[in-house]
Amino acid sequence: MSGTAFSYRSLTKTRSYRLMIILAVLLVLMFILSLRIGRVSISMSELGRIVSSWVFSNPTDPQLTGKEMVFTLVRLPRCLLAVLLGMGLSVSGAVYQGLFRNPLVSPDILGVSAGATFGAALGLLLPGSSFAMIQVLAFVFGLTAVCMALAIARVVAVRPVLVLVLAGLVVLSIFNSSITLLKYLSDPYNELPAIVFWIMGSISRAEWKDIYTAVPLICGGLLFVFLLRYKLNVLSLGDLQTKSIGLNPSIYRFLFISVSSVMVAVSVSTCGQICWVGLVIPHIARTLVGPNHEIMIPVTALIGGLFLLLADTVARTLTMAELPISVVTAFSGAPIFAYLLYRNRGSGWT
Amino acid sequence: MSLKCLDVSFSYGVREVLSEITFEVDQGLFCALLGRNGSGKTTLLYCLNGLLKPTDGCIKVEGLDVCRANRKAVARKISLVPQEHIEIFPFSVLDVVVMGRTAYLGFAQRPGKADYDAAHEILDLLKASDLANRSFNQISGGERQIALLARALLQSSSTLLLDEPTNHLDFKNQYVFLHRIKDFCTKRGTRVIAAMHDPNLARFFADRIVMIKDGRVLNAGPTSEVMTEANVSRLYETETRQFDLSLGKQIFLPELVCSEEETNGQPK
Repeated sequence: MSGTAFSYRSLTKTRSYRLMIILAVLLVLMFILSLRIGRVSISMSELGRIVSSWVFSNPTDPQLTGKEMVFTLVRLPRCLLAVLLGMGLSVSGAVYQGLFRNPLVSPDILGVSAGATFGAALGLLLPGSSFAMIQVLAFVFGLTAVCMALAIARVVAVRPVLVLVLAGLVVLSIFNSSITLLKYLSDPYNELPAIVFWIMGSISRAEWKDIYTAVPLICGGLLFVFLLRYKLNVLSLGDLQTKSIGLNPSIYRFLFISVSSVMVAVSVSTCGQICWVGLVIPHIARTLVGPNHEIMIPVTALIGGLFLLLADTVARTLTMAELPISVVTAFSGAPIFAYLLYRNRGSGWT
Repeated sequence: MSLKCLDVSFSYGVREVLSEITFEVDQGLFCALLGRNGSGKTTLLYCLNGLLKPTDGCIKVEGLDVCRANRKAVARKISLVPQEHIEIFPFSVLDVVVMGRTAYLGFAQRPGKADYDAAHEILDLLKASDLANRSFNQISGGERQIALLARALLQSSSTLLLDEPTNHLDFKNQYVFLHRIKDFCTKRGTRVIAAMHDPNLARFFADRIVMIKDGRVLNAGPTSEVMTEANVSRLYETETRQFDLSLGKQIFLPELVCSEEETNGQPK
C-alpha cells in the first residue's frame, strides 16, 4: 500500500519539477522577446552583438549605438524590474494567503499599498522633493502602515488573525482617506494628475538605481520565504494547532509579514500600485500544483515573474501610448480569477 | 514516568475556571476527564500542553515543566487532537500527518524522506494508509479524526490529549476509534488523557477517571472505584442508575429514561 502511495507522491513531485523547468524556460524566452520588442525593435543578431560587446566591453558598432542605449538604459532594467516585482508581489500574496488562511487575501490587506501611495502623494506635493525622495517616502509610509496594523492587533491581543484583518482595515481606511484629502488639497492642473498617474502604476520609470535597491530587498525576501516555506503549511492550520504541534505562530507570522511587506513596499514605491498579481498568481499556482507551499512557492514566483513581464510588454507595445500596467493586469487577471473560481468549485475552499 | 498536575488553577480575568486541580497519570494509561458542559475540561487540556498558562500550580510531564518549556520541547512530549475542525487549504492527508514532525525540524528545515516514511508507517498501523493521498477537506469526519490522530501519534509517543474525540463520529466509529487508540497506546506506552462526554464510553475504555465539577476535582482514581452510581449522579446533577452487564461491566442511564421504560413508552 505504502509503495503505491510513494510512487504517486514521487509522480506528482516529478510533474511539479517538470512544470518548474517549463516555466523557467518560458520566463527566459519571454525575457529575450521582451528585450527585443517595443518602439525600437532589436533583432536577434543585433541583440547578440549588443550583449557581446557589453559583456566583453568592446566598442559597439556605431550603427547600433542608439539601440544599445535603448537596450542598456531602458529595456534591460525595465524587464529585470518587471520580473523581480512580479515574483515579489506574487510570493507576498501567497505568504499572506497562507498566514491568514484565506485564499482571497491580497498583500494590500494590512495597508502596505495604501500607506506607500499616501507617502508618494505626500512626496509629490512637498515642495522641492526629488523623485528619490518620493520613493523613500512611499517605502517608509508603506511600512508604517503595516506597523500600525500590527501594533493595533498587538494591543487587542485576542484572536490574532481576525484582529489583524480588522486592524488592517482601520489602517487602510485612514490612509485611503488621507490620500483623498491630499488629492483635494492639491493643485488640479499639475499635482493632481501627477498623483493620479503615480497611483495607476507603471514600470516605465525603471532605472538602474531602482534595480540596485530592488535586487537586494526583493531577492532577500524571496530567499527568506523560499527557505522557510514549509512553515507556511503549518501556520495555515491556525494558531491553536500550530502551537500544539510545536511552532510559535506569533514569531513566524511577524517575520513573514515583515519580509512580505518590505517586498510590497519596494514594489509600490518604485512602480505604483500593480493590482491583481498578488491575488491571482498564488491561485494559479495552487490550481496547478496543489496547496503544499514547498512546491507552490517556487511555482508562484516563476508564474508571477512571467505574468508581470508579459503584462508590461503588452502595456508598452499594444498601443502607441503606454497603458498603465494595472489596466493590463486587471483586464487579464480578473477573467483568470473568475475562471479559477469556477474550476475550483468542488475543492472545498473557494 | 508520569504526568503530574499539581494544584493547577486558571482564570479568564476574574472568572476562575479551574481551581486546585491535582491528579497524576502513569505511562501507558488511558485517563478520561468527565464533567458537564463548561466544567473546564477543555481549559484543563489546554493547560496540560501549555496552550494556556495556569495562573497557579504546575504541570510536569516526565520531568519537563510544561509552563516554563518552549513550544518545541512541549510538543515533543505532548500532542493534541483538537475538537473543532478548521477548514484549511486542501492538503493531502499525508501532508497533514507529516506536520506532526514539525517539532523535530530546524529553522529552515523541511520534512525529509525519513519523516514521510514515519508518517506512512503510522497510517499503516492505524489501518488508514489508503487515506494518504486524499484531500483532507474531502474525507469524512471519522477519517479526519484518524488523520489528526496519526499526526498526533507521529508528534509524540509520550502523551496524547484528546478533546472530545468522539464528537463527530457515528455509533460504530465511536467505539472503533477509541478501541484503536486504546490498543495502540497501551502497546506503545503512550499516556492518553481524553475529555469525554459519555460516561459509558469512559467506563469501557478508561483506566483512570478524573471527574471535574465547577473547575474542581470531584473524584479521581481507577475507573472501577470512581464510576459509582452516587458519583455519576453528583457529577451530572441528575439521578442516575447503574445497570450491570453480564460482562462484568456497567452502564449508566439517567433515572428519567429508566422510569419511562417501566410504563412501556405509554404516556401516563
